[in-house]
Amino acid sequence: MLRDRLHSQKQIRHQHRSRTRAMFHEQAAPSTRYIAIIGNPNAGKTALFNALTGLRQKVANYPGVTVEKKEGKVIFGDGSSATLLDLPGTYSLTAHSPDEKIATDVLFGKATHTPRPDFVVCVVDASNLERNLYLVSQIIDHRTPLIIALNMIDVAEKSGMAVNPQRLSDELGVHVVATVANKGIGVHELKEAMHAPVTASPKARQWSLPKLVKEECDELQTILQDAHHLSEADSFHEAIQLLTSSSVLNSHNDRYAPEVLEHVKKDHERLDSFGIDRQSVFVESRYEWIKHVCEVSRKIKQQAEETTSDKIDKVLTHKVFGFVFFIALMAMMFQAIFSWANTPMNWIGDGITALGAQITTVMQPGDLRDLIVNGALAGVGAVVTFLPQIFFLFLFLGMLEDTGYMARAAFIMDRMMSKVGLHGKSFIPMLSSFACAIPGIMATRTIESRKDRLVTMLVSPLVSCSARLPVYALMIAAFIPQQKVLGVFSLPGLTLVSMYLLGLAAALTFAWLFKKTLLKGETPAFIMELPPYKLPSFKSVIMHTWERSYLFLQRAGTFILGVSIVLWFLATYPKITNATPAEQLQQSFAGQAGHLIEPVIKPLGFNWKIGIGLIGSILQREVFVSTMGTIYNIKDAKTGMANLSLREKMHNDADPHTGMPTFTILTAICLMVYYVLAMQCMSTVAVMHRETNGWKWPLFQIAYMTLLAYTGTFIVYRIGLLLMT
Amino acid sequence: MEISHLSLSEIPAGKKARIHRLLSKPDVSHRLRELGFLENAVVRCVVNGEGNLIFEVCNTRIGLNHSVAQTIKVSRFE
Repeated sequence: MLRDRLHSQKQIRHQHRSRTRAMFHEQAAPSTRYIAIIGNPNAGKTALFNALTGLRQKVANYPGVTVEKKEGKVIFGDGSSATLLDLPGTYSLTAHSPDEKIATDVLFGKATHTPRPDFVVCVVDASNLERNLYLVSQIIDHRTPLIIALNMIDVAEKSGMAVNPQRLSDELGVHVVATVANKGIGVHELKEAMHAPVTASPKARQWSLPKLVKEECDELQTILQDAHHLSEADSFHEAIQLLTSSSVLNSHNDRYAPEVLEHVKKDHERLDSFGIDRQSVFVESRYEWIKHVCEVSRKIKQQAEETTSDKIDKVLTHKVFGFVFFIALMAMMFQAIFSWANTPMNWIGDGITALGAQITTVMQPGDLRDLIVNGALAGVGAVVTFLPQIFFLFLFLGMLEDTGYMARAAFIMDRMMSKVGLHGKSFIPMLSSFACAIPGIMATRTIESRKDRLVTMLVSPLVSCSARLPVYALMIAAFIPQQKVLGVFSLPGLTLVSMYLLGLAAALTFAWLFKKTLLKGETPAFIMELPPYKLPSFKSVIMHTWERSYLFLQRAGTFILGVSIVLWFLATYPKITNATPAEQLQQSFAGQAGHLIEPVIKPLGFNWKIGIGLIGSILQREVFVSTMGTIYNIKDAKTGMANLSLREKMHNDADPHTGMPTFTILTAICLMVYYVLAMQCMSTVAVMHRETNGWKWPLFQIAYMTLLAYTGTFIVYRIGLLLMT
Repeated sequence: MEISHLSLSEIPAGKKARIHRLLSKPDVSHRLRELGFLENAVVRCVVNGEGNLIFEVCNTRIGLNHSVAQTIKVSRFE
């Protein structure tokens, strides 16, 4: 069946090629064309993008707005290439969210920083033809040159539908290529189609409006064309917007000429008086035509009623079982991250220690050797050790996304989220924030309401990100005893889970608070697509995980390396002769700074040494670990404890005068609580600044989080002291 | 046989319904229509627990919360 489809596809290609050749007299395609790939969410857009570009991708941001811009290079058979832009998934060209607005703006050539694409490849999910053709019909209306990648024909086939690409192509007047992107089927054909010159569909707008509406629409279009010098296509798009919406009249008075607004007002009155629902008439008319296209190009063999996905959903979205499963999954995930990562972490740790020892024997003693071994290597090494945990975290999150479970998580969590006044969709940014608040904050772009988006951005950094993991891991490994709880859970594992839960609870509480006070608004409607469950694609998950792990390593190699060297300097100078290592550290610049803030952090149970760590990690949380690595290495290099692990060194550390240990279980817990709640991340501040277009919200965020961290830690410390006495 | 004046939230799992009217706010209705919940369309309920609901529309599963489902007026479709 599939083979037949692909065979007929070849025929289309041949016909198309001969046609275009005739039209363009064998004209070679221009060398660097700009092609955009567009499609509904879950239509397999990213899989197709990956298949077309391979690893030749780069991720950047659209300037001004932090929506990830993913570009890649497609290399054609003859060695020429084109730039491919992956646009955010969208259901229509009527933008509802900032994300969809980007897609629309780029397509209409309104985005200032991105050129208008020469043509677009629209990914159409064959198993969901109606809704996907809705977007196609809008693109055709706009006269944008177009190729359709009829994707997931295998899925359609399985659910008893056979879509004929030839028929579809004839109906739409557009080149249609059948693909199964995640298996690489049809990718070669698609590339060839993209290589040939692509033109707009010769069959312009085929759907028709009811007579009365059409008359009004035509008139308005003429007025728009005269008043604003719009093209036929643009004026049609604008006319629909104006006729549909009533708010346009109030909010865009300056955008339109008075005669346009005057006419729109009359149109509204006239259509309303005939009882025409201006909202639905355009959508319905489009769907009317889509129905026809589907009837011609698709054969439904048997109607699959209940799919496997549905059966799974009956359990996994159940209000009790679904929730229990979700919590169990999260618990398992964090337990696994902690235990699986242990062995590779030890290898890396041992490797770094061995490397340090090697350098120590090879190099002459002196400041340079100290700088390399105790500054750079100890600092960077302390952070790089956590690579396995970061890797597993992203691996798990990638799998949740790829299996389709992520949307279910939003669905299940909507009940909880709606209690704090947010949408279930707000849970996805929070879940991403478990990895990093930056993609988390960027994921808020799918949230339609501005206020809800802001609330989600404000609280997302409270969710424990991967940069906190090194801090938790170090503290837990050093101070939380290995004990079994209830026979199955380990105490360290449970401590880790509680830190994550604390962050989540704080995020939800503050979301509720902000929704009640600063950013009042009603709870938004939950409407969300739940893609069918599928086995995760190993390749794409690994690629994603690798990309993120690499970014983490890159930060360790640049930013953390720099900070470690500066810190080594601050912790080594000014040099005092005949001082013990402990006295030396105390008198150093870093020691002085630590002492300076000691009165402020003393109520939290932190001494000056932890103070150095807190100052050092203001810009980035995981620097705390490298700071500890650096200062303990400097101090212990001379006392013969150099070959102990950092956790052992911290465990043994005590005040030389009072004999009081620097860290106790309570300090470790307080420190973790502080890191759960505090901002301590410059990149998040920068992203917030860009996302909100100003300093107001990022500054507010720093202020509230710092205050929260201080108060929270203070309370935990006091309660802890009471319990211990 | 069609029984009118039901809302989508009252359709039990496994049953189908034909949509009559959307009473939600204009932007919400617009999004619903774009996703296929338009007048005269037939949708099938996949999950109807006490919380959120899942419907099949144009071969996709769309999750809705209770309050949205209540604004969609339907009739049973056998």
